[in-house]
Amino acid sequence: MSAFATLASVYNTPVAMHGAVDITDSNTTTGSRALNQFLASVELKAFKIAQAALRHEHDALDAVQDAMLQLTRAYAHRPAEEWRPLFYRILENRIRDMQRRRSVRARIMAWMPTHRDEDDEEPVDPLSQAASEEMAPTRRLELDEAMTALEKALHDLPARQRQAFLLRNLEGMDVAQVAVAMGCSEGSVKTHHFRALKALRARLGEFST
Amino acid sequence: MNADEQLEEFEKRARALLEESVTRIDARIRSRLNQARHAALGELETPRRAPWWRLFGLAPAAGVAAAVLVAVVLWGSRPGQMTPVAENASSAVEDLDLVADGETFDLIQQGDGGFYEWAVAQADVGQETTG
Repeated sequence: MSAFATLASVYNTPVAMHGAVDITDSNTTTGSRALNQFLASVELKAFKIAQAALRHEHDALDAVQDAMLQLTRAYAHRPAEEWRPLFYRILENRIRDMQRRRSVRARIMAWMPTHRDEDDEEPVDPLSQAASEEMAPTRRLELDEAMTALEKALHDLPARQRQAFLLRNLEGMDVAQVAVAMGCSEGSVKTHHFRALKALRARLGEFST
Repeated sequence: MNADEQLEEFEKRARALLEESVTRIDARIRSRLNQARHAALGELETPRRAPWWRLFGLAPAAGVAAAVLVAVVLWGSRPGQMTPVAENASSAVEDLDLVADGETFDLIQQGDGGFYEWAVAQADVGQETTG
């Protein structure tokens, strides 16, 4: 049995409560407290979504930060229930901008074969590789392999399929919310999501046998 | 297990794996995200001035108002277009004096215009003799 299929018990670990923490310092007014809580609740998942698309830690952080700023500047006055789809819409636009910029840069760099873009290769941070909790080494290894495979497969999906899949499964949004976030119909969301699922299953099928 | 159930099971595992990957985001990234959030919230605390190009949004209204003002000023200053009211301003003031003078006004109201008729006739006679 493969790692992907046998790690169900590991997943019973509660999701990090980072997002649920009410960070209230003296500078935070009552008006911004709700927004603070909202941003705290989405930032980790947003980072994972950005990272799955960009495969670059700094770019993913920048994308999330920009999305936070944009939401705060332009939509803080909107009802709180609208923030989530708006935030992910902004984030996706930001990710797309970065991908475009990156492809232009890659085309320019192709003319300079001796140039080595240091930004493209991230140094491995030993701290990030450290175990966050006690876990058997073999199980950790299996988990790491499964995650790496899933992240790679997600990255290789078409952007719309990846977005639909991650917003449904990582962010837990319903079809209607995803449709708002993606700026398309609910039928399109269902189609993108189903295709993503089929593609991932076809690629990672060996994990589930 | 049929194909749909297998797909559902696969999705469940993928979801669990994604959630697990979120819990494993390291402290350094969490700290960066925390800073980014506070920076974003700082935007709410500091009132922002409207960008200078927004001022151009008022340009059409201001332009129309200025054009109307100029048109009114130019129209009013044309010499051939002096209004009758302006020409007869002095007589209007005399009429006002007449009405304000209570004794004269009573004479007119009572229909006792004999004195005025006589005065006009005398004036006509005077013009004929001199002319």
